[in-house]
Amino acid sequence: MEDLKAYIESGILELYVLGDVTPEERLQVEMMASKHPVIKAELDEIERSMQLFAEDNAVEPPEHLRDRVLGSILTNLADDRTFDRKPVEPQGRVVALPSAKSNNFYKYAFAACLALLLASIVALISVYSRLQQSNIELATLQTDKQHFANTVNLLDEQLQVFRDSSFRFIKLQGTPHAPSAVITIAWSPSKQKVLIDMASVRMPVNDKDHQYQLWALVKGKPVDLGVFDKEPDSTNMKEMKSIASADHFAVTLEPRGGSVSPNMDQMMVIGKF
Amino acid sequence: MSSKRKISLSEDELVLALRNREKVAIEALYDMYSSSLYGVISRIIVDTASAEDVLQETFVKIWHSFSGYSAEKGRLFTWMVNIARNLSIDKLRSKDFKNQNKNQELENNVTLVDEQMNTAYKPELMGIKELVGTLKPEQKSILELVYFKGYTHVEAADELGIPLGTIKTRLRMGIQQLRKHFN
Repeated sequence: MEDLKAYIESGILELYVLGDVTPEERLQVEMMASKHPVIKAELDEIERSMQLFAEDNAVEPPEHLRDRVLGSILTNLADDRTFDRKPVEPQGRVVALPSAKSNNFYKYAFAACLALLLASIVALISVYSRLQQSNIELATLQTDKQHFANTVNLLDEQLQVFRDSSFRFIKLQGTPHAPSAVITIAWSPSKQKVLIDMASVRMPVNDKDHQYQLWALVKGKPVDLGVFDKEPDSTNMKEMKSIASADHFAVTLEPRGGSVSPNMDQMMVIGKF
Repeated sequence: MSSKRKISLSEDELVLALRNREKVAIEALYDMYSSSLYGVISRIIVDTASAEDVLQETFVKIWHSFSGYSAEKGRLFTWMVNIARNLSIDKLRSKDFKNQNKNQELENNVTLVDEQMNTAYKPELMGIKELVGTLKPEQKSILELVYFKGYTHVEAADELGIPLGTIKTRLRMGIQQLRKHFN
């Protein structure tokens, strides 16, 4: 409080009202006035008395001056309205619009890019998984195709057997040991090929320790033509070892892998050429 | 011309109207304050034509720089009278005015103003009112120099040959007296 009193008594407020202070002092006085109502009230009082003092010492200007002063201002006022506002408006527009627009544009463009990127990634993943699936299917199909091609080739080959007039078909009949057994073989002496028609094999299924063995009897001597298994679903023509001449063909049940000489006890079928 | 109705508004209304750039505002402003402002201007600038020019410049400046006025920082009149005083001093110190008045030496404005005052052709305007019994002579002379002649307190101290502190004190005491008087 003492400080405020001293501040008031320093005379700075009077000089402020008279406009006789430095810019720094002016700011200081304004700050003090806004902070302390006492200072503000003191300033008001000084201002009021100075205004009344000026009114007491007023000098009426010449009457013609009123029209001159007002005329010059009102001319300017018209100018203000003509020139002052219009240049301001377009300027405001020029500044405000592009900045707002560009801001929004980049914001939205960025958002759009991000959305597009996400959508692309999702699409890519889905397409990739479908491609993988397709590749797997394609591989399966190719395998199948290969399988069919093989089958066709095989069947074609087997069909050739029936077309080839050099092949002879021999039906081997069951022996007393296996009266119901039947097997058909095709033999081309000129091509020295022997094939078993697996579809026609009517013999008991062999166990895993034994195999059937085909023999050719050439002048009474047995010649090994290879082993085969009776499988329930085999339908192909199985090619055996080649032989140029034979009197008989016979099948015996032998230990797996075949034997050097036939086990006559286990002879299943026999047929004569 | 004297039959013309003078317009008067409250200070708040006037400030608002000036902000809104209303024509009536500048008319009211002139009617309410031109004589008080001219009282200050014509005491600084003795030449009538020049004083009239300055009064016109003052109102034009008030009108154009009105956005610079803030009611929080003080009275409208305080702001205006300082504009009027500054424009008057500027005029007094301007080259045109010096040439116009054929004053060769203007190094010391204080002397110039003093001389002009002494040789003024409207002596009744020059002194401020006595306000009988209110102001002591030394207070009166300082107020006259600073308020009506545009001296800074430093210049006044120089002119009167009194220390700065004394000038401040007397200025303050003078204004205190005025406050008492007007209350």
